[in-house]
Parts: sequence; C-alpha cells; structure tokens
Amino acid sequence: MKKNQLKRKLRNVILILSLSLPITMLAQESPKLTDPEIAHVGVTANKIDIGYAEIAIKMSSNKDIITFAETMKRDHEGVIKQAVDLVTKLGVTPKENNVSSSMLKDAEEMKKKLKSKKGEDFDKSYINNEVAYHKAVIAAIRDILVPQSNNQELKDFLNAILPALETHLKHAEMVQEKVN
Amino acid sequence: MRYRQELILFLAIIASMSFQSCISPAPHTKPHHKVRIKQMKFVPDSITVNIGDSITFINKDVVSHDVTEEKSKKWTSKTLKRGETWSMIASEDVNYFCSLHVIMKGKIRIK
Repeated sequence: MKKNQLKRKLRNVILILSLSLPITMLAQESPKLTDPEIAHVGVTANKIDIGYAEIAIKMSSNKDIITFAETMKRDHEGVIKQAVDLVTKLGVTPKENNVSSSMLKDAEEMKKKLKSKKGEDFDKSYINNEVAYHKAVIAAIRDILVPQSNNQELKDFLNAILPALETHLKHAEMVQEKVN
Repeated sequence: MRYRQELILFLAIIASMSFQSCISPAPHTKPHHKVRIKQMKFVPDSITVNIGDSITFINKDVVSHDVTEEKSKKWTSKTLKRGETWSMIASEDVNYFCSLHVIMKGKIRIK
C-alpha cells in the first residue's frame, strides 16, 4: 500500500513539473513580453483548458468530473470572448510567441496522454492535471503577465480573471479529493 | 359670472385633490434588496430581509453564474451571463449556491 502511495505521489510531482515547465519558462528565461504577446499567452492558456475539458466531457463517466469540465469549458470560452473584445477595443493583435507555442506543444502531449487512459485512471489524470495547470496559470498571471503588461485595461482584465481561476483550482481540488 | 363660478369650482377640486395626496400615505412598496455577483462571490453573502421582500441578483462577474437553493435545489435562476439579473421574493430562511461554481455560497434570513 505504502509503495503504491509513493508511486502515486511521485507520478503527481512529475506531472506538476512537466505541466509547469512552459509557464515557469516565463520566470526563468524572462523575455520581456509585449502586450500583444501577453494577450496571446492569455488566450492560449484558456484554449488549452477548453481542450482538456472537451476530452473529459467525451471520455469520463464520472458526474463530478463532467460537471467540472463543463464549467471549465463554459468559463474559459467566456473569458476568451471578453479577451477578444478587449484586444479589439484596444487595437491589439495577439502575437504568437515562444511561450505560447511551447504551451501548445506541451498541451498536445498532455492530450495524447489523457486520451490513452480509461475509466478511473483517466479521471485521476485529468483532475490532477487541472489542479497543477490552474496553479501554474495563476502564478504566471499574478507574477509575470500582470507586472509585465503595459496597458492598464489589460492588467485589470488579467486581475479580474484571477478569482475565477482560484475558484476553479478550489473546485478541482475538491473533485481531486473525491476521485483520488 | 357663470364661468367664474365654474373656474372657482374647478380650482377647488384641484386643490382638494392635491391636499388629499399630501395627507394620504403613499402606497406601500416592498423593500428591494440587491446581491451582486462579482469576483466569484455573492456580495453580500448573507442578507436579512422581511417575508415578501424582493431580492435581485446581478451578475457583475467575468463568468456566468446561477443562484440555486442548496439543500434540495427546489428553485434556481437560469444561467446568468455577465450583466444579467434575476429576482425572487423572500419567503423563508434559505441557503443558496452557484451550481456552476459549487464553492460559492450565500444565505437569506428572514427577520
């Protein structure tokens, strides 16, 4: 039993580290991101979570997982719409960059891993990923994207979505406890 | 002369009506309470009202929410997008929550 628990913990740590890497790239490499690049990173982060949610809605039969995933899809789609409205208003065109490209590449790997799993194994992988992902995105927004943003409205928007992400994290942790 | 009398009568009626409206109590309107939904919270998250009072929930948040009776889900608003509102009449003590974000909770208490 102890050996299995240790294996599970080690797997979770590896998962968190592999997920956090593209986001922590921001801190380690610290290229100065322009507002168009920040906008692109923000939209990409939302799109990635929508992608994960769509897989969960299709593949899980756990009610808590599906309800959570539906909330993620709805909320992140709503945030993208408001982000697009804002950048349109500001005349900012989101610009692809190394950070967002790396996030997308790693997300594709994660999606492949999720699709290879079934049943409870899938549910655990999905929700563990959601906990780690939301922690990483919250840290990136608070510590990197907001401070680096030059436009006050963009800063305000990023700050405005933080409570939603923190609630998502708490919800994910609640589901994680049930599922694990 | 006749027109003068009619005018005086008319003015007297108008004056009487004005006087009546001053002394009659205004029709009773139920107090109206507002709960704002912002930053993933109901604000205020606890209100104390009288039976029959009206409560309006206004979504000022970046994401959609709803307002659902917590214990048996016997009533719920529709999903409220940003800017949308929903009103109810208070009839009993109740705990409610957002069924989309289950950690968001609030209370209505009757005086």
